[in-house]
Amino acid sequence: MDLLLQYLANGLVTGSFYALSALGLTLILGLMRVVNFAHGELYMLGGVMGWWATTRLGLDFFTGLLLVAVVMGAFGWLVDRFLIERIRDQGEEAGILLTIGLSIFLANTALLAVGTAPLKVEAPIAASPAFFGPIVLTKLRLFAVAVCALLIVASWLTIHKTRLGRAMRATFQDPMAARLVGIRTANVYAATFAMGTVIASMAGMLLGSIYSAQVSVGGLVSMKAFVVVILGGMGSFAGAIAGGLLLGVAEALWGGYVATGWVDIIGFALVILTLVFRPYGLFSRSAERA
Amino acid sequence: MRFERNGLLGFLALAALVPFVVHDQYVLHIAIMVLFYAVLATSLNLVVGYVGEFSLGHTAFLGTGAYAAAILSTQHGWPMWLTVPVAGVLAAVMGALIGAITLRLQGPFFVIVTLSFAEVLRLVADNWIGLTNGPMGIAGVPQPAMLADAGNLAGKHFYYAVAWALLAVSLYLSYRFVHSNAGRAAVAIRENRYVAQSIGVRPLTYSMLALVLGAFLSGMAGGFYAHYISFVGPEMFRFAFMVSMIIMVLIGGKGTLLGPLIGALLVTFLEEYLREAKELRLSIFGLAVIAIVLFLPQGLMGFAGRRRERRLAASGGASGAPGASDPPAAPRAGQAAPTPAGRLA
Repeated sequence: MDLLLQYLANGLVTGSFYALSALGLTLILGLMRVVNFAHGELYMLGGVMGWWATTRLGLDFFTGLLLVAVVMGAFGWLVDRFLIERIRDQGEEAGILLTIGLSIFLANTALLAVGTAPLKVEAPIAASPAFFGPIVLTKLRLFAVAVCALLIVASWLTIHKTRLGRAMRATFQDPMAARLVGIRTANVYAATFAMGTVIASMAGMLLGSIYSAQVSVGGLVSMKAFVVVILGGMGSFAGAIAGGLLLGVAEALWGGYVATGWVDIIGFALVILTLVFRPYGLFSRSAERA
Repeated sequence: MRFERNGLLGFLALAALVPFVVHDQYVLHIAIMVLFYAVLATSLNLVVGYVGEFSLGHTAFLGTGAYAAAILSTQHGWPMWLTVPVAGVLAAVMGALIGAITLRLQGPFFVIVTLSFAEVLRLVADNWIGLTNGPMGIAGVPQPAMLADAGNLAGKHFYYAVAWALLAVSLYLSYRFVHSNAGRAAVAIRENRYVAQSIGVRPLTYSMLALVLGAFLSGMAGGFYAHYISFVGPEMFRFAFMVSMIIMVLIGGKGTLLGPLIGALLVTFLEEYLREAKELRLSIFGLAVIAIVLFLPQGLMGFAGRRRERRLAASGGASGAPGASDPPAAPRAGQAAPTPAGRLA
């Protein structure tokens, strides 16, 4: 019983990390309909830059996080304006290829720059354990979960309560109508991509302080993020969170009770089942997006 | 159509001449890889180019074929002429299974679920140690007995001949498929799924046919690869293979039979040539992919087709009708037009 509780707690912690790493993708894939295969590389860049900022520049964690967010936001904006802009109306295929090319480029250029070794991002607090009855978690993980929740709430508020968020929702419902009422849709697209990039890179830095930032991690992160986004339904915040938690718990239980080697198969099995039976995600009620 | 057929025959004829001229083992190895990749790219093109769905799980069939050939020959002692076709058949069965599930989906869903299947198979290959020997892979896939006392060069020549035969079979089957009613039905689905359905073309049937044929061809290629390299590991299912295949199809031009051949030739040589640049190689590769998407979206064949069309239109305008109705121009024109499939999905 205690073991079950521990597995559940571990699963929920990992699940909230999954949710955060998938959040950027759910914006880009769900709203912009760009199947972003470079998502994992954006996450990786966040981690690597976080390492660089905290160990080489000697900044503290939060200043580093801010720096990463600003730099990666600008990077995302530029990627959208100079690359994705040009293939906007050509269907998914062009986007898939473009982002595959981008991910190959980013991963290997980063490899040239920092090498394959795992890089440790300086954590803001110590990794000492905290006890809750029979459950043990490190304080660092609890802190990370809190930051995850904060980031998720902040992005939800941005989308639903600000002027920019309203422009985004209008643009993705009907770009033509949005242009007619004076929204600069090109900026909105760029802002959405930049926002997705910022969330991905912050996730990368945050999780880089718990695990480690590694150049080769991109592909795995992309795959997990796709799993979460499909499970939760594209473009849905609640879905991304629920999908992340579900994946985390399912993996923890499977790893604990069945076989550790096969853990990664859970996600893909869930995706295949979801797409066959509920292609618009486990939690979406309507078949069509807004 | 005639241009395409002549092009394919010309490519095969030129490829048949290579072993008479080349006696360098390294160059022969590259030539064999070109043929191997040409088979793979052709098989992927059947799905990507003619059904118009973007499959990222084609390595599933390649890997199935390679493992089938490796297991049948190491554990059951089957000879190579039997394992390669059986590998193709098993991969085709896998294609039918996967297709029955995935082809009901379109657009990004199809992309991700095919990728998931390839990943699942990779994990199975990694973890089902009893069958696949896990991450260690299966080493020492036997060579055909007749190569036992022949030299290395003769071995390379033998494998070149096998690869050439595989490519010939692939091109023949693809050509027959593409220019049959089934192939035209598949193109109709690619161009407009709903119109095709409304005139009685069942999307599932024809896209399934293309997928199973593609799986069969790449399964045979996998079987060949297992014997040639004589080692099979879970990395057969890796995304890297997939990336090479996609780049070949797209550089050459999807939806044309000649395109993937040109792509395979170009990319294999480029990869070999850029080996000099070592670490920079993959970065340059990534940039190349981006450049292709931005500047050459229909591939080299699409580019050539557009130029040809323009030239024909110009000469046709000056001298009257006959030039413009030249038969090869018609199918080219259809292919050069941007496919609306992505937007409809």
